[in-house]
Amino acid sequence: MSLNVKKSFDREKDMWTVELIGEVDIYTPNDLKETLISLLQEKESNIRLNCIELDYIDSTGLGVLIGILKRLKNVDKNIIIANPKSNISKLLKITGLDKIFIME
Amino acid sequence: MTGKCENKGEGLNNENVCISLPSKPEYVSIARITSSVVANKIGFNIEEIEDIKAAVGEACNNAVIHGCGEDSNFNVEFAIYENKVIIEVRDNGNGFTLERCPVPDICNPKEGGLGIFIIKSLMDAVEVKSSPGNGTIIEMIKYVSEDD
Repeated sequence: MSLNVKKSFDREKDMWTVELIGEVDIYTPNDLKETLISLLQEKESNIRLNCIELDYIDSTGLGVLIGILKRLKNVDKNIIIANPKSNISKLLKITGLDKIFIME
Repeated sequence: MTGKCENKGEGLNNENVCISLPSKPEYVSIARITSSVVANKIGFNIEEIEDIKAAVGEACNNAVIHGCGEDSNFNVEFAIYENKVIIEVRDNGNGFTLERCPVPDICNPKEGGLGIFIIKSLMDAVEVKSSPGNGTIIEMIKYVSEDD
Protein backbone atom coordinates (compact mmCIF):
# COMPACT_ATOMS: atom_id res chain seq x y z
CA MET A 1 0.00 0.00 0.00
CA SER A 2 1.32 3.39 -0.83
CA LEU A 3 0.44 6.98 -1.38
CA ASN A 4 1.07 8.91 -4.55
CA VAL A 5 0.77 12.70 -4.38
CA LYS A 6 0.46 14.90 -7.49
CA LYS A 7 0.66 18.61 -6.84
CA SER A 8 0.29 21.71 -8.94
CA PHE A 9 -0.50 25.37 -8.46
CA ASP A 10 -3.65 26.76 -10.07
CA ARG A 11 -2.77 30.41 -10.77
CA GLU A 12 -6.27 31.30 -11.91
CA LYS A 13 -7.83 30.18 -8.63
CA ASP A 14 -4.74 31.01 -6.58
CA MET A 15 -4.70 27.64 -4.86
CA TRP A 16 -2.72 24.45 -4.62
CA THR A 17 -4.28 21.39 -6.20
CA VAL A 18 -3.15 18.14 -4.65
CA GLU A 19 -4.27 14.76 -5.89
CA LEU A 20 -4.07 12.01 -3.29
CA ILE A 21 -3.87 8.56 -4.84
CA GLY A 22 -3.82 5.40 -2.75
CA GLU A 23 -3.87 5.25 1.04
CA VAL A 24 -2.84 7.56 3.88
CA ASP A 25 -2.11 5.48 6.96
CA ILE A 26 0.31 5.36 9.87
CA TYR A 27 3.11 4.48 7.42
CA THR A 28 2.60 7.44 5.10
CA PRO A 29 1.50 10.56 7.04
CA ASN A 30 5.00 12.02 7.26
CA ASP A 31 5.29 11.95 3.46
CA LEU A 32 1.99 13.81 3.25
CA LYS A 33 2.98 16.26 5.96
CA GLU A 34 6.31 17.08 4.34
CA THR A 35 4.70 17.52 0.94
CA LEU A 36 2.00 19.88 2.23
CA ILE A 37 4.43 21.87 4.36
CA SER A 38 6.75 22.30 1.36
CA LEU A 39 3.82 23.72 -0.62
CA LEU A 40 3.04 26.24 2.10
CA GLN A 41 6.68 27.24 2.33
CA GLU A 42 6.49 28.09 -1.35
CA LYS A 43 3.13 29.88 -1.12
CA GLU A 44 0.52 30.00 1.63
CA SER A 45 -2.65 29.50 -0.36
CA ASN A 46 -5.77 27.38 -0.10
CA ILE A 47 -5.12 23.68 -0.67
CA ARG A 48 -7.66 21.68 -2.67
CA LEU A 49 -7.25 17.96 -2.04
CA ASN A 50 -8.71 15.91 -4.83
CA CYS A 51 -9.61 12.63 -3.13
CA ILE A 52 -11.28 10.85 -6.03
CA GLU A 53 -8.55 8.19 -6.01
CA LEU A 54 -7.95 8.18 -2.27
CA ASP A 55 -9.05 4.78 -0.97
CA TYR A 56 -8.37 5.18 2.72
CA ILE A 57 -7.26 7.69 5.32
CA ASP A 58 -6.83 7.00 9.03
CA SER A 59 -6.65 9.19 12.12
CA THR A 60 -2.92 9.81 11.63
CA GLY A 61 -3.63 11.19 8.15
CA LEU A 62 -6.53 13.28 9.45
CA GLY A 63 -4.17 14.56 12.14
CA VAL A 64 -1.77 15.81 9.45
CA LEU A 65 -4.62 17.63 7.69
CA ILE A 66 -5.74 19.21 10.98
CA GLY A 67 -2.17 20.42 11.63
CA ILE A 68 -1.92 21.95 8.15
CA LEU A 69 -5.38 23.50 8.49
CA LYS A 70 -4.39 25.23 11.73
CA ARG A 71 -1.43 26.76 9.93
CA LEU A 72 -3.60 27.86 7.02
CA LYS A 73 -6.27 29.35 9.30
CA ASN A 74 -3.62 31.68 10.71
CA VAL A 75 -3.41 33.31 7.30
CA ASP A 76 -7.15 33.02 6.67
CA LYS A 77 -6.84 30.14 4.19
CA ASN A 78 -8.47 26.72 4.14
CA ILE A 79 -8.33 23.14 2.97
CA ILE A 80 -10.90 21.99 0.43
CA ILE A 81 -11.66 18.28 0.30
CA ALA A 82 -13.04 17.34 -3.09
CA ASN A 83 -14.65 14.11 -4.30
CA PRO A 84 -14.10 11.94 -1.22
CA LYS A 85 -15.21 8.31 -1.43
CA SER A 86 -18.11 7.28 0.79
CA ASN A 87 -15.90 5.66 3.47
CA ILE A 88 -13.85 8.84 3.74
CA SER A 89 -16.94 11.10 3.83
CA LYS A 90 -18.25 8.94 6.66
CA LEU A 91 -15.03 9.30 8.64
CA LEU A 92 -15.04 13.08 8.18
CA LYS A 93 -18.67 13.22 9.25
CA ILE A 94 -18.35 11.14 12.43
CA THR A 95 -15.29 13.10 13.53
CA GLY A 96 -17.03 16.40 12.71
CA LEU A 97 -14.15 17.38 10.46
CA ASP A 98 -16.57 17.93 7.56
CA LYS A 99 -17.52 21.13 9.43
CA ILE A 100 -14.00 22.55 9.55
CA PHE A 101 -12.76 21.65 6.08
CA ILE A 102 -14.57 22.93 3.01
CA MET A 103 -16.28 19.92 1.44
CA GLU A 104 -16.84 19.80 -2.30
CA MET B 1 5.20 -15.90 18.07
CA THR B 2 3.30 -14.79 21.08
CA GLY B 3 -0.08 -15.03 19.36
CA LYS B 4 -2.44 -17.47 20.96
CA CYS B 5 -5.74 -18.41 19.41
CA GLU B 6 -8.53 -19.54 21.63
CA ASN B 7 -12.01 -20.46 20.64
CA LYS B 8 -14.23 -18.12 22.55
CA GLY B 9 -16.73 -20.94 23.08
CA GLU B 10 -19.76 -18.95 22.11
CA GLY B 11 -22.41 -19.88 19.56
CA LEU B 12 -21.31 -21.15 16.20
CA ASN B 13 -17.78 -19.83 16.25
CA ASN B 14 -15.40 -22.51 15.13
CA GLU B 15 -12.97 -20.59 13.01
CA ASN B 16 -10.46 -18.07 14.20
CA VAL B 17 -7.90 -16.16 12.20
CA CYS B 18 -4.89 -14.97 14.15
CA ILE B 19 -1.98 -12.92 12.97
CA SER B 20 1.04 -11.65 14.81
CA LEU B 21 2.72 -8.60 13.30
CA PRO B 22 5.85 -6.62 14.14
CA SER B 23 5.05 -3.34 15.92
CA LYS B 24 5.99 -1.27 12.91
CA PRO B 25 3.79 1.09 10.88
CA GLU B 26 4.44 -0.71 7.60
CA TYR B 27 2.71 -3.88 8.87
CA VAL B 28 -0.61 -2.28 9.83
CA SER B 29 -1.90 -2.54 6.26
CA ILE B 30 -1.58 -6.36 6.47
CA ALA B 31 -4.06 -6.39 9.35
CA ARG B 32 -6.42 -4.10 7.44
CA ILE B 33 -6.34 -6.26 4.32
CA THR B 34 -6.87 -9.40 6.40
CA SER B 35 -9.87 -7.77 8.10
CA SER B 36 -11.53 -7.01 4.78
CA VAL B 37 -11.03 -10.59 3.57
CA VAL B 38 -12.47 -12.01 6.82
CA ALA B 39 -15.40 -9.55 6.78
CA ASN B 40 -16.16 -10.37 3.16
CA LYS B 41 -16.16 -14.10 3.96
CA ILE B 42 -18.70 -13.59 6.75
CA GLY B 43 -20.99 -11.66 4.42
CA PHE B 44 -20.73 -8.05 5.54
CA ASN B 45 -21.73 -5.45 2.94
CA ILE B 46 -19.23 -3.04 1.43
CA GLU B 47 -19.93 -0.22 3.89
CA GLU B 48 -19.55 -2.58 6.86
CA ILE B 49 -16.31 -3.96 5.43
CA GLU B 50 -14.95 -0.42 5.16
CA ASP B 51 -16.02 0.25 8.78
CA ILE B 52 -14.26 -2.89 10.01
CA LYS B 53 -11.14 -2.11 7.99
CA ALA B 54 -10.94 1.42 9.40
CA ALA B 55 -11.56 0.25 12.99
CA VAL B 56 -8.90 -2.47 12.73
CA GLY B 57 -6.48 0.07 11.24
CA GLU B 58 -7.04 2.43 14.18
CA ALA B 59 -6.68 -0.36 16.77
CA CYS B 60 -3.42 -1.49 15.14
CA ASN B 61 -2.15 2.11 15.01
CA ASN B 62 -2.79 2.20 18.72
CA ALA B 63 -0.82 -1.04 19.24
CA VAL B 64 2.12 0.29 17.22
CA ILE B 65 2.13 3.66 19.00
CA HIS B 66 1.65 2.32 22.55
CA GLY B 67 3.25 -1.11 22.09
CA CYS B 68 6.58 -2.43 23.27
CA GLY B 69 8.58 -0.87 20.47
CA GLU B 70 9.70 -2.12 17.09
CA ASP B 71 11.33 -5.31 18.42
CA SER B 72 8.03 -6.74 19.63
CA ASN B 73 4.88 -8.00 17.97
CA PHE B 74 1.20 -7.26 18.38
CA ASN B 75 -1.59 -9.74 17.78
CA VAL B 76 -4.84 -9.49 15.88
CA GLU B 77 -7.46 -12.20 16.29
CA PHE B 78 -10.68 -12.53 14.32
CA ALA B 79 -13.33 -14.85 15.78
CA ILE B 80 -15.67 -15.70 12.93
CA TYR B 81 -19.39 -16.22 13.58
CA GLU B 82 -22.33 -16.58 11.24
CA ASN B 83 -23.66 -13.12 11.97
CA LYS B 84 -20.79 -11.24 13.55
CA VAL B 85 -17.06 -10.91 13.94
CA ILE B 86 -15.22 -10.36 17.20
CA ILE B 87 -11.83 -8.76 16.70
CA GLU B 88 -9.21 -8.48 19.37
CA VAL B 89 -6.05 -6.40 18.98
CA ARG B 90 -3.55 -7.02 21.74
CA ASP B 91 -0.18 -5.50 22.45
CA ASN B 92 2.23 -6.16 25.27
CA GLY B 93 3.29 -2.59 25.64
CA ASN B 94 3.25 -0.27 28.57
CA GLY B 95 -0.44 0.37 28.30
CA PHE B 96 -1.86 3.78 28.94
CA THR B 97 -4.20 5.34 31.39
CA LEU B 98 -7.48 5.14 29.63
CA GLU B 99 -9.25 8.40 29.84
CA ARG B 100 -12.79 8.98 28.81
CA CYS B 101 -13.05 9.08 25.07
CA PRO B 102 -14.13 12.63 24.35
CA VAL B 103 -16.15 13.64 21.35
CA PRO B 104 -13.80 15.61 19.11
CA ASP B 105 -14.01 19.34 19.79
CA ILE B 106 -14.60 20.96 16.42
CA CYS B 107 -13.84 24.43 17.72
CA ASN B 108 -10.44 23.23 18.83
CA PRO B 109 -9.46 20.25 16.67
CA LYS B 110 -6.43 18.25 17.74
CA GLU B 111 -3.96 16.34 15.62
CA GLY B 112 -4.20 13.19 17.75
CA GLY B 113 -6.65 11.21 19.85
CA LEU B 114 -9.23 10.41 17.19
CA GLY B 115 -8.45 6.69 16.91
CA ILE B 116 -10.52 5.22 19.76
CA PHE B 117 -13.38 7.61 18.99
CA ILE B 118 -13.44 6.38 15.37
CA ILE B 119 -13.42 2.72 16.48
CA LYS B 120 -16.36 3.33 18.85
CA SER B 121 -18.29 5.12 16.11
CA LEU B 122 -17.84 2.39 13.50
CA MET B 123 -18.23 -0.82 15.54
CA ASP B 124 -21.29 -2.13 17.42
CA ALA B 125 -19.50 -2.88 20.71
CA VAL B 126 -16.01 -1.90 21.83
CA GLU B 127 -14.10 -2.65 24.98
CA VAL B 128 -10.67 -1.19 25.67
CA LYS B 129 -8.69 -2.72 28.48
CA SER B 130 -5.50 -0.87 29.21
CA SER B 131 -3.54 -0.04 32.27
CA PRO B 132 0.05 1.04 32.78
CA GLY B 133 2.33 -2.02 32.66
CA ASN B 134 -0.25 -4.51 31.36
CA GLY B 135 -0.48 -3.72 27.69
CA THR B 136 -3.69 -3.00 25.87
CA ILE B 137 -6.49 -5.13 24.49
CA ILE B 138 -9.07 -3.61 22.17
CA GLU B 139 -12.04 -5.91 21.58
CA MET B 140 -14.52 -4.94 18.90
CA ILE B 141 -17.72 -6.58 17.71
CA LYS B 142 -19.56 -5.92 14.47
CA TYR B 143 -22.86 -7.59 13.55
CA VAL B 144 -23.97 -8.30 10.00
CA SER B 145 -26.89 -5.96 9.26
CA GLU B 146 -30.21 -7.78 9.07
CA ASP B 147 -31.40 -6.32 5.78
CA ASP B 148 -28.64 -8.04 3.77
